[in-house]
Amino acid sequence: MAAYIEFKGVTKAFGTKPVLEGMDLAVNKGEVMFIIGTSGVGKSVTIKHLIGLLRVDAGEIWFDGQRVDDYSEREFEPLRRRIGMVFQSSTLFDSMTLAENVALPLRKHGKLRHADALVEAKKRLAQVYMDEYAERYPAELSDGMRKRAAIARTLALSPEVVLFDEPTTGLDPVSARRIDRLIRELAEKLGVTAIVVSHDLPSIFGIADRVAFLYQGIVHAVATPAELRASPDPIVQQFITGQSSGPMETPGF
Amino acid sequence: MKWIENVGAGAIRIAEEVGGILLLTWQVLRSFVPPRVDRQELFKNLHKMGNRSVPIVVLTAFFAGGLMTLQTGPFVKKFGAHALAGWGAGYAVLREIGPILIALMFSGRVGANNTAELATMTVTEQLDGLRALAIDPVRFLVVPRVISMMVMLVALTVIGDLVALTGASIVGRAMLDIEWATMFHSFADNLKPYDFLHGVYKSLAFGGAIAVTSCYFGVTVRGGAVGVGKAVNAAVVAAAVSIMLLDFFLTYTTG
Repeated sequence: MAAYIEFKGVTKAFGTKPVLEGMDLAVNKGEVMFIIGTSGVGKSVTIKHLIGLLRVDAGEIWFDGQRVDDYSEREFEPLRRRIGMVFQSSTLFDSMTLAENVALPLRKHGKLRHADALVEAKKRLAQVYMDEYAERYPAELSDGMRKRAAIARTLALSPEVVLFDEPTTGLDPVSARRIDRLIRELAEKLGVTAIVVSHDLPSIFGIADRVAFLYQGIVHAVATPAELRASPDPIVQQFITGQSSGPMETPGF
Repeated sequence: MKWIENVGAGAIRIAEEVGGILLLTWQVLRSFVPPRVDRQELFKNLHKMGNRSVPIVVLTAFFAGGLMTLQTGPFVKKFGAHALAGWGAGYAVLREIGPILIALMFSGRVGANNTAELATMTVTEQLDGLRALAIDPVRFLVVPRVISMMVMLVALTVIGDLVALTGASIVGRAMLDIEWATMFHSFADNLKPYDFLHGVYKSLAFGGAIAVTSCYFGVTVRGGAVGVGKAVNAAVVAAAVSIMLLDFFLTYTTG
């Protein structure tokens, strides 16, 4: 059976700096797939390709039986309603309240009137325990609160796939585990496929179905968390145990 | 031969910027078909860009009108040409000084603010956030700003014209002892509707130029906070140059 999402030989460079060098990865429907690796290895770059925020230099990307890497910006629009993304920096709009932020995709795509969209937005915020902050602006909230609101905004369109870019980075452990639980519930209760870019080992070993370890522009290993922990590969072991010395080459150090 | 390289690189950069601005202009025009403008964004920008600019425009226009009377008044008195007292100030204000001064003030206040806002949204990935929500940033953010700036600059120029003529009359009465009625008849007898319209369509063009340049430098910014500063600087310079070029072109072609 073909994978739901598939990266085939994807290559991407920024100027003269290669980032992805023939990367292959397959993600099944309904699974929580983590992409891990050192900083700057191309994890965020990988997921941005799936919704056309970046374009591949070479290779193919397939989603639900369709090749999507050669889509035009206009062709990507319906795809982006099926694949949501939660950015590392939350990307809520500063000039809008949380309710207005969440109402925005409902107004634009759900065809709701402004007042109706705001009512619906508050319900969506309640799902991430943020309804009491609906009238606040993003600048008035903590990072964790902004991330939860950003998740609510992404989920407003009921996407089939959600891409999370370092959703727990910078959060306290309690908030991080709440985000983890939310991601897991999305997969289990709503059948949402999640691709999570993360360095957060408790998240990885807590909620991942499978983990793809990105190293030197390719997927070095794909495994379940248990298999990863037991992996004899010294590079994988160095990463998951966080050793500063070992076989792993980290540019800049 | 280093200077030739520098001149060439500068020319290429300017060509790229002009090309980018024209491309954005085309995207904005294309967004009107079908005409779907986000009304929330439109009204928010009309208020922010128009209402809040009224005090500075009123202040500038009042003194611009007064200044014109101060400059022309002594000659009017010297030659006893009181019937032309209002014409000198009014003609200059309606056709040139009003639209240009108000456009430059508008560019410095609204255009710079717009570039800084869009540039900050760009470097903090808020524009990518919009695209990820399947919302076209040009249609959602740029088009309402372009409409707002064009409409509001025209409205502010009309208000500014009235205030400038009032300022010219007050200064004429208070400092040069020119009667109210003399000024009024001078305006009414010598200024034609076309003098007013000439300024209005210039301000419409200036509004479009300020809007497109300020949006272009905002959405194409690179390099964090330093990049935002450079973008604002470039936008204000480009808007000022565009205003002067358009003014010359429109004055030359339409008189």
